[in-house]
Amino acid sequence: MPTDPNGTLDRVTGGVLRVGVTPYEDRVVLHENGPPSGVEVELVKDFAETLDADVDWQSGSEGQHVRALEDHELDLIIGGISDRTPWSSKTGVTRPYAEITTEDGTQLKLVMLVQMGENAFLSELETFLTQRGQEASS
Amino acid sequence: MTRHFGHNALSDSQVATLRRAIRLEWITMGFLAITVTLVALVLGNSQAMKTAWIEDILSFIPPIAFLIAVRVGSRRPTIEHPYGYHRSVGVGHLVAAVALTTMGVVLIVDSGSSLVKAEHPTIGTVVLFGHVIWLGWLMMAVMALTALPPVIIGRIKMGLANELHDKVLYADADMNKADWMTAVGTIIGVAGVGLGLWWLDSAAALFISGSILHDGLKNMKGAVLDLMDERAKTFDDRRPHPVAGEVQDYLRGLAWVKDAGVRVRDEGHVFHVEAFIVPRFGRAPSLKHLSEAREACAAMDWRVQDIVLIPVDSLPDTVESGRRRRSRP
Repeated sequence: MPTDPNGTLDRVTGGVLRVGVTPYEDRVVLHENGPPSGVEVELVKDFAETLDADVDWQSGSEGQHVRALEDHELDLIIGGISDRTPWSSKTGVTRPYAEITTEDGTQLKLVMLVQMGENAFLSELETFLTQRGQEASS
Repeated sequence: MTRHFGHNALSDSQVATLRRAIRLEWITMGFLAITVTLVALVLGNSQAMKTAWIEDILSFIPPIAFLIAVRVGSRRPTIEHPYGYHRSVGVGHLVAAVALTTMGVVLIVDSGSSLVKAEHPTIGTVVLFGHVIWLGWLMMAVMALTALPPVIIGRIKMGLANELHDKVLYADADMNKADWMTAVGTIIGVAGVGLGLWWLDSAAALFISGSILHDGLKNMKGAVLDLMDERAKTFDDRRPHPVAGEVQDYLRGLAWVKDAGVRVRDEGHVFHVEAFIVPRFGRAPSLKHLSEAREACAAMDWRVQDIVLIPVDSLPDTVESGRRRRSRP
């Protein structure tokens, strides 16, 4: 336990992780040719590696990504999303995995978004993010 | 100081029972405060957990209603309030019932709509003592921990409710006794989510909402019937209270009484008795006879203090009467 009703974790493991990205400061940077870069992008790449998965990056607005997530066309959304995201009733929100100060000085707790109720995948991701956080702080 | 329910002085054992009941209600509320806090900590996105949590919060109402009713109901009758303050019990009972019913309906709509919309509850992990653990396990643990104590407290309160003839206490005890079903329902719902059966969570929530609504309607019926001066019933509303028959039999047995009938209403903890007496040979009874009869009736049961004897030439239709007499000549 837990198990995914839609089997995200099973499908992604050894398969493809579909990630929606929106640019955010230096954490997610999009390039005209080639995959995005930035801290969050690296984090997701490492997570995909633990699942032996390839990453399919899709760029767009947060709104577009959330609709795609609801239609089961994405597995994960990143891009400087805070824990006070308005999408919490349409998506599964991870625990905050990092805290940053924005350019205008507000404190943000950062999260990622997954499909609602895909609890095995969510737990796998949160476990990975927590371990990363613990490694970083020690 | 002697404790009273209005006119009625309570015996030592009743005072002890009342004290126990008051203490148990405080214990109940202490336990509820712990439960509500624990459940709030692990609430997550489970509909069943949310519903169980609201039920726990609602469970504060009956103990509070009981404590207020006991306090208010123990005041002595005054000229302004000649029947005493016993109806505070009925008012408390009704308020608690309306609150339960309303919440029951709201929660049924809420859980039903998340079932229809097929919302998959998202339950992630938490970090506990440096370990990442699925929150669902904590939810189930909290529910398992808090399932049993209310059942035990409820059983004890049930006995006290009988002795004190207190319907709010009875309603509270009855709800406590059924509390384990909420806990088990929630555990099943969360376990369902863990197994990928997302709908079990809303289904469990629907079940819990249904039980809240059921409690509300049952209590509303009882409270309204009492406030409407239904014939006095036992504390659990199962059967007519025997005291009416006892008073009536005693009066019928008196030498100067040809026939007697009583009507009894439940004022809260105590009864208000009106006894209609047809004297033998149509002769008005003496004051001595009347006051002796009145005292004897009052001595029969502590709930009977406020008793009125009314000499009549024929019994009204609607009084308790084994041998029903036609009142019309």
